Amino acid sequence: MNGAIEAPTIEYGQLMPMLLVFGAAVVGVLIEALAPRYLRKAIHVPVTLLSLAGAFALIILQAVRDGVPEQASAMGAIAVDGPALFIWGVILVLAFISMLLINDDDQFVAQAAAVPGSPEEEDAVAQGGAHTEVYPLALFAIGGMLLFSSANDLLIMFVALEVMSLPLYLLCGLARRRRLLSQEASVKYFLLGAFSSGFFLYGMALVYGFAGTVDLGGISSALASVGGQDSLLYIGVALLGVGLFFKIGAAPFQAWKPDVYQGAPTPITALMASGTLVAAFGAVLRVFWVALGNLDWDWRPVMWAVAILTMVVGAILAITQTDIKRMLAYSSIAHAGFLLIGVIATGDAEQNSGSLSGILFYLLTYGITTVGAFAVVTMVRDAGGEAGHLSRWAGLGKRSPLLAGIFAFFLLAFAGIPLTSGFFGKYAVFAPAVSGGALGLVVVGVISSAVAAFFYVRVIVLMFFSEPAADGPTVALPSVGTAAVVTIAAAATVVLGVFPQPVLDLADQAASALFIR
Amino acid sequence: MGETITFWVLAVVSVSAALGLVFSRKAVYCALMLGVVMLSLAVLYAVQDAPFLAAVQIIVYTGAVMMLFLFVLMMVGVDSSDSLVETIRGQRFWAMIAGIGFAVLLALAVGQAAIGDPAGVTGANQRAGGNVPALAELIFTRHVFAFEVASALLITAALGAMVLAHRERTRPRPTQKDLAKARFVSGYPGPLPGPGTYARNNAIDMPARLPDGSVSELSVNRVIARHDVEDGRLPDDPELAEAIRQAAAEEEEHNASIAGPKEDR
Amino acid sequence: MELYLPILVLAVLAGGFAVFSVAIAPFTGPKRWNRAKLDAYECGIDPTPQPVGGGRFPLKYMITAMLFIVFDIEIIFLYPWAVAFDQLGVFGLVEMVLFIATVLVAYAYVWRRKGLDWD
Repeated sequence: MNGAIEAPTIEYGQLMPMLLVFGAAVVGVLIEALAPRYLRKAIHVPVTLLSLAGAFALIILQAVRDGVPEQASAMGAIAVDGPALFIWGVILVLAFISMLLINDDDQFVAQAAAVPGSPEEEDAVAQGGAHTEVYPLALFAIGGMLLFSSANDLLIMFVALEVMSLPLYLLCGLARRRRLLSQEASVKYFLLGAFSSGFFLYGMALVYGFAGTVDLGGISSALASVGGQDSLLYIGVALLGVGLFFKIGAAPFQAWKPDVYQGAPTPITALMASGTLVAAFGAVLRVFWVALGNLDWDWRPVMWAVAILTMVVGAILAITQTDIKRMLAYSSIAHAGFLLIGVIATGDAEQNSGSLSGILFYLLTYGITTVGAFAVVTMVRDAGGEAGHLSRWAGLGKRSPLLAGIFAFFLLAFAGIPLTSGFFGKYAVFAPAVSGGALGLVVVGVISSAVAAFFYVRVIVLMFFSEPAADGPTVALPSVGTAAVVTIAAAATVVLGVFPQPVLDLADQAASALFIR
Repeated sequence: MGETITFWVLAVVSVSAALGLVFSRKAVYCALMLGVVMLSLAVLYAVQDAPFLAAVQIIVYTGAVMMLFLFVLMMVGVDSSDSLVETIRGQRFWAMIAGIGFAVLLALAVGQAAIGDPAGVTGANQRAGGNVPALAELIFTRHVFAFEVASALLITAALGAMVLAHRERTRPRPTQKDLAKARFVSGYPGPLPGPGTYARNNAIDMPARLPDGSVSELSVNRVIARHDVEDGRLPDDPELAEAIRQAAAEEEEHNASIAGPKEDR
Repeated sequence: MELYLPILVLAVLAGGFAVFSVAIAPFTGPKRWNRAKLDAYECGIDPTPQPVGGGRFPLKYMITAMLFIVFDIEIIFLYPWAVAFDQLGVFGLVEMVLFIATVLVAYAYVWRRKGLDWD
């Protein structure tokens, strides 16, 4: 027997925000186990919200008091660097406001195991059954997002990918209304997601075969030192890319997004459309910039093609949609394409930090606006639940001008009209891309923004300039949570659109030191 | 020497099992074939000085994952077959082309790579005093965070199974008293009459006669009656044959009633 | 390789015995044909009526299967930990206790929510 194994060092202080979220999730499961049914929600809500807020406060404390760590934490598994802290903050803000939506009653199924339309389901609804497991599951997903965006080796990135996705697969299938659609969404998401995880894992194995390490920094240095096995590396990188592109919903791996976004309970859609996208971009940046930064000549052409395809597919297919959630899903695909422009625009350190800062800012603005838009979607209701079909939205502006006005404002922000946060978001990504030599992409980006603006405006016209149907949907009186979400999102969209400088500075500062290796 | 022999024996076994897996028409056979492939892999791992991987392969894959496969097969229904209608035309054809293309690409790329002598695990094993301690060192130091976070996955799995499959009672469970009441209300509180007494070999497939000489349909085992009718093996006595036919018809009806609301179970 | 020789011998013995028993039975056992013998044996009760397609298992089994997998994977981590216990020292113990405690939370949940009750 050899001597004792040295104990690992884990920087608990730096990891505390993430540990807090995971800890709260475990506590949530304990609440599920021990608390009586009528108390569960009352305990879950404060635990969940406080843990998210506490984690956010810890991030600020960390950034202000200790500064940004220079080295990876937890034996090199996790990099809590500037971009990671910023992304963590964004994820936690988005998760917090999505959580306010999740709190809203009447979104989740009373008993998931009961067959849709069966007497058991009616009984469960009558007895006020509810799956409060939603809270710990969402917290696990959020913890996974935090980990995914800060993973410093491929192994932990894979574990994080699963920790993030698995609860989301489940949550997608728990919609209270149109349950078959929701279950279909869940199964589709699960099957395709498992398939993409398989690609990621295979790519990871091949890259390990090339580099002999799963460490992102180690892979980067292996690029220079290992010779003669380039084909392993290329195939590995391509497969890793498939897994990551699936998660951000880049074409041609975007097929799941409209179906899943439509079927999932709308608060979960909000969480996925904002938090998962942010986390996945954190991981994309880490893999392609930290590990494969020196290979950029090889992945850039492919990334160009993917970005162009994603923007075009997102913008053009959105025009043909008749369901509001599907339309927002295609819009999210197009936005993933815009963000990919930033990923491509690499160069020297200054160029990189410019692009990175743009991406970070864009993620924040897009995420908040998305959550707000989905919050509005939850409020426009028919007898059978949310009024998804666009024709039902006709004349909403006359019936409920405030709500329709806010929604129109969110759509304008998606389109990137000046005086909304979306404008500065697009500007922050496109400007460094022009200086980084991706002018062609920016042109495509601007054109597809214009195409996208067409269908956003079409919805606005529909809401304000057509006659409301006689049996049109009602606008539900929002709960405190939903009202707060819409207010926060609208306020953030205005403030970031009029006075973005402080947040832009913050993003600059977070991006200045780039990623640690 | 032993390694080579093991390899060639297992190569034949596992490749033929894998082919059987692909070409077998019955889902349960496929699952069993998969079990054979997994076990062969486990032995190969063991031969390659990787006892931990072999143990994982047997305990997790052959033991748990295989069992889950079988459970899912049985839940879906062993005999249920896939619908072969293509929702997208030519989908299968193009999927096959893409799959073969991917395999060829992969084979060419990996084949082309100048892979040096395999490092093997011998060196790493010796440094830490064995394969399993070496793995322990990695799991509990370098990758300790991944290890701890894996517990989140396990919790999610348990939560998911409960949320999706566990049905909490919405109505109180019927007690003995309720069941007894229901039985009396049904109009026939006693046990069913035993099978026939005029049988020559085994009586279970023969209807009994009541004291007045008539045939008791209740005494016929419905499942056997169905088989008898399907195979055309009815007794010569028309009265008995009629009783068996009736029981078989009831059985059909009963089947239809279970098979109808399938999702309800 | 030598390590596995006894296992191999045992496997050959076990397999040989199984094949031998099955092969010898038709030659030594008495044969009296009876329809009832073709039926599934269920302790003298009428065989549970099965739908023609072979029937589907209730979803309840899924919980059992999933829980089995969860704790199976937990056990797999115990194996290297137990082998290297002396080298790992206190921190290994702490890590493992933390891991088991976390998974135990899932167990507590399943138990309290009557996931282990069969009914």
